[in-house]
Amino acid sequence: MSLTFSTLEGRSRIFLILAAALAALSLIGFISFMVSYIKGHQVLGSSNIVPWGMPIVITIYLIGLSAGSLILSSLTYVFGKEEYRPISRIAVFLAIVLIFGAMVGIALDLGRPEKSWRLFMFFVLNNMRSMFAINGILYGGYFLIGVIYLGFIFGEKWKWTRVMGLIAIFWAALVHMGTGAIFGFIAARPIFYSPIKPFEFLAAAMVSGLALLMIVVWAIFRFTKRKWDQEILYALSKLLPPLIVVLFTMVLVDKLTHLYSPHREPTLWLLAGPFSWIFWGLQVGCAYVLPFILLVHPQYKKTIQGVMTAACLVVIGIFGERFALVIPGTAYPLTFYPGSIEGIWGEVGSFPLRPMELFMSIGIFALMGLFFLLGLKYLALLPANERSEQTSTPAEKG
Amino acid sequence: MPRWGMVIDLDKCVGCQACTIACKAENNVPYGSPEEQKSRKDVYWNKVIAVTSGKYPKVNTELIPMPCMHCDQAPCVTVCPAKATYRREDGIIVQDFRRCIGCKYCIVACPYGARSFNSKEQEEKEYHRKDLPPDRSVWGPWPFPTRTHGVVEKCTFCFHRIDQGIKEGKRIGKEVVPACVEDCPANARAFGDLEDTGSEVSQLLASRGWIRLREELGTKCKVYYLPR
Amino acid sequence: MNRRTFLKLSALTGTVVGGKRIIGPFETFAGLSPQQKTENAPEEKWISTSCLNCSARCAIRVRVLKGKAVKITGNPLSSVADGKICPRGHLGLQVLYDPGRIRFPLKRTNKEKGRAIDPKWTRLSWEEAIEEVAHRLKSLRDKAQPHKLLLFSGLNSMSSEDLIFRFANAFGTPNLIFGNGLDGETEKSGRWMADGHYRSTAYDLDHTNYVLAFGAQMLESSIPLSRFLRKWGKLRREKSNRTKIVVISPRYSVTAAKADEWIPIRPGTDAALAMAIAHVILSEKLHDSDFISHWTTGFDLYKKLILHQYSPSVVSTVTGIPPETIQRIAREFAQTQPAIALGGKESLNWPEGSYTSYAIFCLNALAGSIDGPGGVIYQEHPKYQEMSPLVEDDIAREGKAQPCLDLRGTTKFPAAQVVTNQIPESLLADTPYAIELAIGFNSNFNMLAPGSERWDQALGKIPYSVHVSPFISEMALYADLLLPSATYLEEWGYDHSPAGGGVAEVRLKQPVVKPLGETRAISDILFHLSKNLKAVAPSFANLGDGPEGFVKFRTSPMMPWKEFLRKGVWTGPNYQYKKYQRIFNTPSKKFEFTSGNLRSLMAKKGKRDEELNLLPQYREANFLGKKDQHPFVLIPYQPLMVIENGSQNYPWAQEIFLPMHGRGWETLIEINREVGERMGFRNGQMIWVESPFEKIKGRVKLSDGIHPEVVAIPSGQGHYAYGKWQQGIGVNPHEIIGVDYDRLSGQAAFFNTRVKIYKA
Repeated sequence: MSLTFSTLEGRSRIFLILAAALAALSLIGFISFMVSYIKGHQVLGSSNIVPWGMPIVITIYLIGLSAGSLILSSLTYVFGKEEYRPISRIAVFLAIVLIFGAMVGIALDLGRPEKSWRLFMFFVLNNMRSMFAINGILYGGYFLIGVIYLGFIFGEKWKWTRVMGLIAIFWAALVHMGTGAIFGFIAARPIFYSPIKPFEFLAAAMVSGLALLMIVVWAIFRFTKRKWDQEILYALSKLLPPLIVVLFTMVLVDKLTHLYSPHREPTLWLLAGPFSWIFWGLQVGCAYVLPFILLVHPQYKKTIQGVMTAACLVVIGIFGERFALVIPGTAYPLTFYPGSIEGIWGEVGSFPLRPMELFMSIGIFALMGLFFLLGLKYLALLPANERSEQTSTPAEKG
Repeated sequence: MPRWGMVIDLDKCVGCQACTIACKAENNVPYGSPEEQKSRKDVYWNKVIAVTSGKYPKVNTELIPMPCMHCDQAPCVTVCPAKATYRREDGIIVQDFRRCIGCKYCIVACPYGARSFNSKEQEEKEYHRKDLPPDRSVWGPWPFPTRTHGVVEKCTFCFHRIDQGIKEGKRIGKEVVPACVEDCPANARAFGDLEDTGSEVSQLLASRGWIRLREELGTKCKVYYLPR
Repeated sequence: MNRRTFLKLSALTGTVVGGKRIIGPFETFAGLSPQQKTENAPEEKWISTSCLNCSARCAIRVRVLKGKAVKITGNPLSSVADGKICPRGHLGLQVLYDPGRIRFPLKRTNKEKGRAIDPKWTRLSWEEAIEEVAHRLKSLRDKAQPHKLLLFSGLNSMSSEDLIFRFANAFGTPNLIFGNGLDGETEKSGRWMADGHYRSTAYDLDHTNYVLAFGAQMLESSIPLSRFLRKWGKLRREKSNRTKIVVISPRYSVTAAKADEWIPIRPGTDAALAMAIAHVILSEKLHDSDFISHWTTGFDLYKKLILHQYSPSVVSTVTGIPPETIQRIAREFAQTQPAIALGGKESLNWPEGSYTSYAIFCLNALAGSIDGPGGVIYQEHPKYQEMSPLVEDDIAREGKAQPCLDLRGTTKFPAAQVVTNQIPESLLADTPYAIELAIGFNSNFNMLAPGSERWDQALGKIPYSVHVSPFISEMALYADLLLPSATYLEEWGYDHSPAGGGVAEVRLKQPVVKPLGETRAISDILFHLSKNLKAVAPSFANLGDGPEGFVKFRTSPMMPWKEFLRKGVWTGPNYQYKKYQRIFNTPSKKFEFTSGNLRSLMAKKGKRDEELNLLPQYREANFLGKKDQHPFVLIPYQPLMVIENGSQNYPWAQEIFLPMHGRGWETLIEINREVGERMGFRNGQMIWVESPFEKIKGRVKLSDGIHPEVVAIPSGQGHYAYGKWQQGIGVNPHEIIGVDYDRLSGQAAFFNTRVKIYKA
């Protein structure tokens, strides 16, 4: 069976309504960004004790998703697994859109977004000991690599594609390990501080990227009413449990290490304090335990509902994992001096979800969704085969 | 090259918080409001914390003033992507507003909570001080006659006083000191060159055991405390 | 023009155009520009003046940049605190540029008076305002009833006080009420019983080796605070011996936290402890027998009383302090020379405060610390240029012969110089006569005094009242006419040091900026008024003809004017110690353990007191409220950040208001942690504190630093007058305190009200 790729027609009602809704939400997001830009971050939920809020949580989440997605695309283009070829273009494009969304997210979180060009002045105006600056190189390069990679795929230059794919795996791993390092290298915050953070983030990237890819693929094929071989989904779903196990092991080791002194108190607070419901409910429950059960259960792992539920749970759960890192990580009060610190200096931080922040967050997702939809319409990403009714450009190999 | 440090004698300190207010007056630091304090958006360059231990009637509260520690191995300097915060040759950790992009990484990294983020325009709470050099028309490290929202600020060891004092040939640590040191009623704070064995700070450090806060993090603060 | 400037200009235009608002339309400090241009002002000036945020009146230097005050720091020429100021001094900038300041005279149009009632102020000119006041004053004189003028004087510079006093005397009213009756009178009367000085006590802190503080919060509310803050540092680590400081108080204050020992004591029992310490000293013969035998009288009766009634084991049950502690402290006190024992508000503002003060003061005599290095010293006074003799007519003389509203000097308050808190009762009952006109100068007594509600009622009753103040304080809210006075940074004046370092010190006040808006200094207003009153004008004629002239005239013996303007501080001759020959103003000319002064005073009033009542002693306090119904004793304490000028509209102070609790902008009701947990309270919960009179609500703080029988509430909050940084923030504990007095001095009792607490 030969494989060709085509664009989406994009004229159905659902498509137009969806695009319009996403555009509207993006606009609202943009307006709330302008409000926060003019009035200052006082309209957001962040403060001097919890300085990073939803935009950063979303950013690191998106980077993870992106890296995972890009690495999965290499299954086809580097390791030659043909069964994934139909979805690999989508995977690469998804990765590009997600990293773009992540960079938008960073810009939204900055106090002075008009100076965000400073993040790209590598070695000239930047302090290269800062993980933020290094990540600037990584994300910028990653975006370029993704675009070039996609270019080679469209141009069907397979040797180049293979080279880019190899670079992409390597770079994507670095990208998300770099994101993990942003947190892992900060000694002042005991919940962050850990050499395992980069690996934990990489494992989370794989898990969440895979789950998101599954959901996106399933959604596209469902909504465009195309025929396709659902074996791809099952094959992908088989990859998920071992990855979850790896992630779970990382997190377990990290938390166990921290349960020993000197980080015992903050870790106990995370596991049993006011934010523990995010850790146990979202992170452990939704991301690790429930999906794993679903995917090894002899009955559910064979149904499309079971598999897709597992994927959705993972996506939500990994978002919870990011949140459970960033917010409690900074909310735990700094222990300047032994003893009980009185008043505001010893208080646990709080993070109210203010309207502007909510709209901005939704806006980021909406913007990415919009770009993805437009990409489906104008780029030849969707697989089509002879049995389909769409006309397509013939190709020798997909 | 001098290396400026500060010594705070907790036995002489009277917990009056004059340092906090004098710093605000000297450096044009905006005050907060009740809502801003509740949501922790207010700005402090120097704070005085109370640490309590014990049970009635055997209770002990330490009142500890905390400016920026101007660490020799400052975590904030390591993590700033835009080189907006950096260590000057004389040891002062400078915050350059022009370069700051407001990413708040330094606030996350600072173990002493010395940094504050400006979450709004503070015009109504400032005094429009054209005397705080250099003003915005001058290129170079900043501090501010007026500030902008979206950037981080912190204690500067009143380096405007020090630089001016050096230019005028005055003795830093004796005739010219930061505002908090000058206005401490109990003379509990001392400032000077840590490299100079004859300076007051060096002599104080040699007089009895000193501690630095969170020594285990290896930040090598240049603000030392003499315990009671 | 950038965006910011444009926005600012539009805001300014908008508010000026829309400005029916009486109180400064500008909410911003930036928007307040000096109303009169100082065209030729050089770039930067340092001006020496003195502070008036509390009664210490420290010498300060103010940095003025292009006509705007930007920084306040101490004046090194002042020896009281070695040139340092307390944190409140720095707040002068916020006092000066307070957006709530009144700019021009205001007249009340809404006849109703009350807390939540809007006076509906309208503006009037100074001519009209002065005309109104002068007219009313004249009509009182015409009716030969000058005594129906009631004058309140709160925190004013001493030059203003001198002028107010002169005005009252020339006009003919005895009713000049200072705020002293709310703070510090018992310290004076107790001491007066011993050595005849009805004044606050000064301590030679440079050399002291032991400090025993009975409820004296030296680092928060003692005066002069700057001196205590500075000397504390000196006593700890700037002399060869490290001074030991022991604080005896029911609550663990900042002072107790920084001291070496905190001894929690049952409230109201400090006198017993002082007497028990004397017991140990006397029974172990640790007293300074030389001083006692040569320079004291009445010792035998005192010793007999002590040894008979005040053994440590007996006192231990009264105070709750173990006898071993009492013995140890007493020995340390007597054997560490020189040592001082001092009392403060929290131990002295009680119904038996005079005797407590007397008991504590005698400890200094036992330790040989009277007028010696490191001990109690006698503050010298500067010699001002004498004012010309007062010109008073018969009407004035008769007016002044009338009894004073505050019943001072009557048998009710025989030794009192002023009984501030008596005024509401007198006004409400029209005794000894009804008042027709009241003028208040910077007095905010209805916030500061116990029993706020009766103050509100009394103030509402006064037919016509005028208030002179920079802000619309709570008392000003009841006025019919408001005259905006300049702040202390905009006026001419002189102040001398209160009980401080012993050496006389005079501080100049000179304007650092031109007065804001149409505000005028109090001295200026008084001179103006005097010109409009025939009766008063002659007495004001040769005083220098205006505020600056007056100050120059009065300080002329001290140093050349230009030099004084530059230096800002005049210091008297060096202190002489051990002036025993001439220092005791008592019948025996010696230090008296049995008070001859009190004996003569009571005899003059026609009462013969038992000999026993002439000795220092402990008398169980009369609590307001019964223990079974109201189990806790309320301690309304004054944190450092409370500004005594009647306003708290200062964000710099508000945001760090409670240092021991790391919180600002609120009142915290502190109770003992164990007690609170037993009652089921959690930190931050809202609770009611109810006395037999009123109740207030606030958030509770469970603390390990509070005696189990005590509820402690900081004063200074609970304002309801103008000023967005103070209005509606916190609660005022004075509202629920009952009315009681120290019978000798008329000092209002603050700490003997009992309360109960329960969840809100």
